Amino acid sequence: MSEPARSVPRPLPVAGPGGAGARSAPPGIGRADGARAHGIAAGARHGILARLSRRAGDLLLSDYFVLYLSLAYVLVLLPFLPTLSNPANLSNVLSNMWPLLVVAVGQTFVLTIAGIDLSQGSVIGLASVVGGALLAVGGSGAVLENAPLWGTVLTEEGGPLAGVPYGLLVGIVAMLVTGAIIGLINGVSVAYLNMPPFMVTLVGLIGIGAFAIWLTQSENIRPLPDSFVELGKGDLVSVYLGAQDEPRIPRRQIYSFVTYPMVIALLIAIGAHLLLSRTVFGRYVYAIGANRRAAEISGVPVKRIIVAVFIISAVCAAAGSILYSARLEAGRPTLGEGAFLLDVVGAVVIGGTSLFGGKGKIIWTVWGVLFFVLLSNTLNLMNLSSFHIDMVKGGVILAAAMLDVLRTRLMRERAI
Amino acid sequence: MKRLTTFGVGAALATMGAAIAAPASAATICFAFQDLETEFWVAGHAAIIKTLEDEGHQVIERNANEDANRQLEQVRDCIAQGVDGIIIIPQDGESAVTIVKEAQENDVPIAVFNRPPSDLSRGIVVVADNASIAGQAVDFLAEQALAAAGEGEKLQPLILVGDLGDPNAVGRKEGFYNAINAHKDRFETPIEVATEWDAATALANLEAAVTANPEIDLIFTSSDFLFPTIRSVLEPRGMWKKRGEEGHVILGGLDGDATACKLIKDGFVDATGVQDLYFEADEALKAILTAIDAGEYAPNEVIEDPGFALTSANIGEREMDMWGCVLLSEGFLDK
Repeated sequence: MSEPARSVPRPLPVAGPGGAGARSAPPGIGRADGARAHGIAAGARHGILARLSRRAGDLLLSDYFVLYLSLAYVLVLLPFLPTLSNPANLSNVLSNMWPLLVVAVGQTFVLTIAGIDLSQGSVIGLASVVGGALLAVGGSGAVLENAPLWGTVLTEEGGPLAGVPYGLLVGIVAMLVTGAIIGLINGVSVAYLNMPPFMVTLVGLIGIGAFAIWLTQSENIRPLPDSFVELGKGDLVSVYLGAQDEPRIPRRQIYSFVTYPMVIALLIAIGAHLLLSRTVFGRYVYAIGANRRAAEISGVPVKRIIVAVFIISAVCAAAGSILYSARLEAGRPTLGEGAFLLDVVGAVVIGGTSLFGGKGKIIWTVWGVLFFVLLSNTLNLMNLSSFHIDMVKGGVILAAAMLDVLRTRLMRERAI
Repeated sequence: MKRLTTFGVGAALATMGAAIAAPASAATICFAFQDLETEFWVAGHAAIIKTLEDEGHQVIERNANEDANRQLEQVRDCIAQGVDGIIIIPQDGESAVTIVKEAQENDVPIAVFNRPPSDLSRGIVVVADNASIAGQAVDFLAEQALAAAGEGEKLQPLILVGDLGDPNAVGRKEGFYNAINAHKDRFETPIEVATEWDAATALANLEAAVTANPEIDLIFTSSDFLFPTIRSVLEPRGMWKKRGEEGHVILGGLDGDATACKLIKDGFVDATGVQDLYFEADEALKAILTAIDAGEYAPNEVIEDPGFALTSANIGEREMDMWGCVLLSEGFLDK
């Protein structure tokens, strides 16, 4: 079992060849003394370099490395992209961050056990269809008449939960249960059938995605109830900065500050953080990621933990689906398709969770998602095309993977 | 569109620009499109960008790469950047509703180009009358098919249906059925082939449909960009024939692109419904710039492009009224 702490012991004072005495050479030294002093100075320089190197290593291993990186990134770009610090833009960055964070939290668990969950995208699509079909408050036969859901679950009057007391809650639970069932299938396939996670979840990505599209024949389901839509874009606290000169403040000058997606995402992230860092379950997760065989020998219920981890991942994807469906105001079978997984895995890896397993923290994922969303936002502000944006994102993820190798090596060296 | 006859695309764009009511000062316009995968979108994109830039407006382009969520985020970014107006080509009718609402709630006027929201009550919506245009094209196809058929012979039509989340696809399907049902006694129930506006999907589904029903007399594609796909299915089966040749399948589409123009001239295609792309771009720009000038945040207006059908019978007179033929005359397909 290995607790993946970047918070290593503080570095010991590093002395150069001159040792501690190098810092106290007496004045008025002779030629021989000069050579000695030269050596001492070189030693001091070496010592400084070693200290700097050590500090850089500390920074690299810090829990907040990606946060610092994000801040530095913003500071460097700010003179060129003043819009970056615009409150409306910051509000956008945050709004784009929350749904991605929810999905990325689930992926963090799976990567930590040295797995991967490619099916998250299709879970998002299927959960969106399930929620849409159950909760819709209307429907269009012209659009959906060929869909298997039409006439069975969904009609012109909407889904079976339209207008039903607690219908919203039941619909949300149904979306989460959809995720849990898929996670259970993934987990059992990996843990009990010993199938590779990549293959199992790739099949899920294709098969479940196709199933979601088949259910609606690729059509979107709307309208959804306002109470559901609020979950994706509702404000709890919004702010207006400045004096009120006009009777009506333009809506674009009112910035969302605390939103429902923010509260939901933070609650999930905090819960996941506690689960991973403060419970026996979390220790088991790290143990399996570090060395599955050793964990088994140590009495860790490996199979059950793997199943649980895949369920968590899929439920997080379903929770993300709630936020994405609500913000787009439709049940969409194609949600989560395309480059979405690139964003999820990219954000988690950039945060510092290791692709090799055994190392991952929710706080790292929070910073990784923040950096990734900032990256997308700034590339948009630079007016780059979507193709260039994806190329840059790919490059950044590659850099993050290389950084992961460097960090792992650094941690090993320090452990010796 | 008569002006296109004389001046070609460049001149048409210049004329179009001059016709647009210029706002008091240069505006910043966000142009968010879902992708540029067909000739229609490429030509529409070029028309809008060129006209705005020629007028001295700043254009911020956003390509969502067929991702509705990404398009919503891009539009929000545009709003945060303080743009004066937004023109979108949405991914589908449903996401268009959400995006229009988002823009209007943030006091930014928005125009939807060609692919309308499923709710037409909000935003400036410039849209072709798809049902009518498709109806005109299919009327001609039906006449041709019936003229070539024997007395009382029943004919088998087939339609390649677009993504029905796109109201354009719904309208085109409706126009097709209206025209076919006018001769209900002479046509079998049409075979529907789903395409989802995707050439690969269309290819797979059309292969299956033609294999199962080799006796197809009439094919209507809801978008001209699928003509190469249709050819790749019909040609190996000896069904890709010119007008007048034995086994010619009556063939038509909708959009009016350069490929359709060439295929009508070559005799493989019989008719296509034409969306007046330059009229649509012109009207979208006029409406959004007028709204910006008037300080109107939430203009709501539906501007309809009546369109027409270019057929093998009228191509001599109306060829240069179709944007695709103008592009073809400028060597678009040779580039």
